[in-house]
Amino acid sequence: MIAALLTLIAVSIIFATLRLLPADPFSALVASGSLTPAEVEQIRAMYGLDDPIYVQYFRYIQNLFTFEFGISLTQQRPVGEIIIPALVNTLVLLLPALVVTAIISSLAGMYAGWNRGSWFEQSSIVVTTVFRATPIFVTGIFLLIIFSYGLGWLPAFGMRSSLANPQGYVETYVSVDFLKHYILPFTATVLFYSGDFLMLARNSVVERKGSEFLMLHRAKGLSEMEQLGRAGRNSLLPLVTYFALRTGMLFQGVITLEVVFAWPGIGRALVQAILNQDYPTVQAAVFIMALAVIVMNLTADLAYAKLDPTVEAGDV
Amino acid sequence: MSLLEVNDVKIAYRMPGNDVHAVNDVSFSIDEGDNYGLVGESGCGKSTLAKSVLGLLDDNGEVREGSIEFDGRELLDLSEREWQSVRWEDIAYIPQSAMDSLDPVMTVGAQIRQAIRKHRDVSKAAANERVAEVFEMVGLDPDRTGDYPHQFSGGMRQRVTIAMALALDPDLLIADEPTTGLDVIVQDKIMDKLIEIQEETGSSLLMITHDVGVVAETCDEMSVLYGGKVMEQGATDRIFRSPTNPYTIGLKNAFPEVDEFDEQAISIPGSLPDLTEEPTGCVFRNRCPFATEECEDGHPPLTEAGGQLSACYHTDRSDELREKAADPETWGIDVRDERDRSGGVGDTILETRGLEKWFKQPQGILEDLRGEEPDYVKAVNGVDLSVREGEIVGVAGESGCGKSTLAEVIAALQERTGGEILIEGTPVDELLGESTKEFRSQVQFIFQDPFDSLNPRQRVRAAVGEPLKIQGHDPETIERRVRETIEDVGLKPAGKYLDQLPTQLSGGERQRVAIAQALVLEPKLLICDEPASMLDVSLKANILNILREKADERDIGVVYISHDLASLTQIADRLAVMYLGRIAEIGDTTDVITAPKHPYTASLLSASPKTDPDVDRQRVLLPGEPPNPVNLPEGCNFAPRCPKADETCRGEEPTRSTFVDDDHEAACYHPVKDVESELLERYAAAREEEVGEVVAEELTL
Repeated sequence: MIAALLTLIAVSIIFATLRLLPADPFSALVASGSLTPAEVEQIRAMYGLDDPIYVQYFRYIQNLFTFEFGISLTQQRPVGEIIIPALVNTLVLLLPALVVTAIISSLAGMYAGWNRGSWFEQSSIVVTTVFRATPIFVTGIFLLIIFSYGLGWLPAFGMRSSLANPQGYVETYVSVDFLKHYILPFTATVLFYSGDFLMLARNSVVERKGSEFLMLHRAKGLSEMEQLGRAGRNSLLPLVTYFALRTGMLFQGVITLEVVFAWPGIGRALVQAILNQDYPTVQAAVFIMALAVIVMNLTADLAYAKLDPTVEAGDV
Repeated sequence: MSLLEVNDVKIAYRMPGNDVHAVNDVSFSIDEGDNYGLVGESGCGKSTLAKSVLGLLDDNGEVREGSIEFDGRELLDLSEREWQSVRWEDIAYIPQSAMDSLDPVMTVGAQIRQAIRKHRDVSKAAANERVAEVFEMVGLDPDRTGDYPHQFSGGMRQRVTIAMALALDPDLLIADEPTTGLDVIVQDKIMDKLIEIQEETGSSLLMITHDVGVVAETCDEMSVLYGGKVMEQGATDRIFRSPTNPYTIGLKNAFPEVDEFDEQAISIPGSLPDLTEEPTGCVFRNRCPFATEECEDGHPPLTEAGGQLSACYHTDRSDELREKAADPETWGIDVRDERDRSGGVGDTILETRGLEKWFKQPQGILEDLRGEEPDYVKAVNGVDLSVREGEIVGVAGESGCGKSTLAEVIAALQERTGGEILIEGTPVDELLGESTKEFRSQVQFIFQDPFDSLNPRQRVRAAVGEPLKIQGHDPETIERRVRETIEDVGLKPAGKYLDQLPTQLSGGERQRVAIAQALVLEPKLLICDEPASMLDVSLKANILNILREKADERDIGVVYISHDLASLTQIADRLAVMYLGRIAEIGDTTDVITAPKHPYTASLLSASPKTDPDVDRQRVLLPGEPPNPVNLPEGCNFAPRCPKADETCRGEEPTRSTFVDDDHEAACYHPVKDVESELLERYAAAREEEVGEVVAEELTL
């Protein structure tokens, strides 16, 4: 209910913002002399841009909720055809990376928090903080310099070799060629996000460590690892929240990362579309991003109810 | 051979800078099946000792010397792995705060099952059977093993921890303040259950507590600890009948008893010794009125004195010391002139009429739309209370009875939902409308926790001066009045305290600063919400004395909220007992205490433990828990738990004037005449019956 309302507000803002932009994609063509003003009028009518603004708005909303994003203004293809493959590319890269880093870094963080003051804690914090503080494209460039240009082990650009021309998703993503292109951006992402999860997990375990119930668990004769397990279970809430929110933002891609590795993802597609003033594509991309954030927020709330017995599903 | 033998144990905590020597050369032993008590105030090392027996000391704590032998086996040499098998299997632990001791994201049944399956190779089903068994033993519904801790009340959670401790039939149970934070009636039921079960299973019990009464009633032998040292050791009844150590004497005198009226509680002045070095003299010498030069030469060894062991150089004079210690002047306390009190009561300052504070229960949007009437928690439900000048009115009741809400509503810290509050005959809204500042200067509040209620970054001078500053006084007046007030609450000389931060003060000193903060504006009405409940016994008495004195001197009206009846009887002129938002009984403190009319008051009074080992008190086994405040029963709120209740009680709610005798009023159709036969025996009988039914059920199965 609230989620639906939020989505509506978000898309309305997008719609309004784009209409407020001073120029439209066709004015540039007039200025360059390729089209006469009369021809431009004709094209605008074809795209429905000469209708009153509220008609455009309702048509836009109606289309969104039927997942009908219209035709790209610059590429003359349905927007879905441009956006969906880009989105899939981004998700294939970022989702596994996020899951991997969430699991490994959280476990490491819990272990670090449990052994407070150990060399493991100190060094893990320093290392992950360095990667978190370094912009992801810098890490990316370093990886490229070392493994592509220096050692020459892995390719530097794109998602596949320029010669390959796979058809369909399976052929695209399940191949050695893809894997080679995949490793570096994947590693950069894992390293980048590891700091967040590590610190979150460490801090919440440190917070739990002095608590009475862990003392009772210890008094019951549980081993160190079993105690850490209970501390970890009690620290899950902030981690799950953060994971859900991060996942929501994944749909925006990591633009600089995609640029550095020339990864054909949604971030790059969005930047392209904005530069070309391709309204339908921008609207569709932003809509998907907003929807993802809202949906993942809802997922986080539902996960709360599952994880924390004091929160009842009705409270969400 | 004894089950547990602790020999000359020294425990220290490593701290940045200095080590803290928490326990020094403590020895004691517990025989099989015995109950042993470790008594002392906070910081005396009793919890540290208990933890060392389980190998649960914090990372920076270590046993430096001595030995702890359990069943002939040296525990200090155990590896972590060996410890894990001793814990719970041989020695189980009942933690202090049941509220935080259970894992919040695990069902209580699973937590107990975990303990069982860690040590025994049994199937899940067999473990579950045992869980149900121990649940029944502690009087919990075995169907509730699948519930989470937050679904239980405080008393029930404590039962869960006891059930957990019993799961493996340990040889030794360590109970670390098992009833702190619980109400007296609940405490009484829990202690009764604990002792009963322990006798049945034949395990030994190590009871750690600051509550002298609890030890006096449950333990055969005990040690009194102070500053990490044993002060006195021996049979409990001997120690309480004729204590030989000045500290024990002081502790016993400071411990308030419900039926000691108007007797000035005797506090022990001073504060705990600094433990950053091993003690060079008697640890108690800086607070002991009988200290001589001899006491500087090392802590006295435990010597035989009248059947028990006492660490004092003056045990030969113990009779004389006891006599002298009963006189407050010995401890440097000014004797209050009791005659002042009678004539001191003046005009009415505060009057409430039908005061109500109802909290709306949250309900779904749909119910709201349908216009359904939401449920209310009636925290304060039609309370009439009046306070006169120079009078202390005590409000007693268990947690959740609405007494704290009442205090906050009177002080206008919370909006009321109904009724009237009159301050000197003027409605409170009028006063607030005229000037909130003026109202706030007349009505002051003292909070429960002196550790939270003072701003940690504000020095004493600023903290006490702030109210004056808000009222717009000039700096000179502020400085003068701050000094006066600080000395007035016993922080002398004022200069020593003015520039200190709260962290540099002890708990008792902090609460005195809080009192000074409230008194500095010379209010007419002072509302105290459990001001002494966080403090140790010896300091508690001191705070009570200050409040009593100020009320007499300055003709302030005081509302004193507390669950501790013993301290209420010492300072309150009149006493109101609350149950579920209503005043069940009100009257002169002496009348209410000596002749309680409402069955609830009578039960509450009988549940307070006594330090006198000769008194054989019948425990109060009040059945059930207070009903859900959302769905209060028809008629008298107490009827479902009252053995005297009949149809009238269940049908119509009694008004407060149902029983009247002068000022003494009680909301009861059947005022109590004899507590023993009318209530306590019936409670016990009702329980026997219940137990009998369970047995009969089992037999038929």
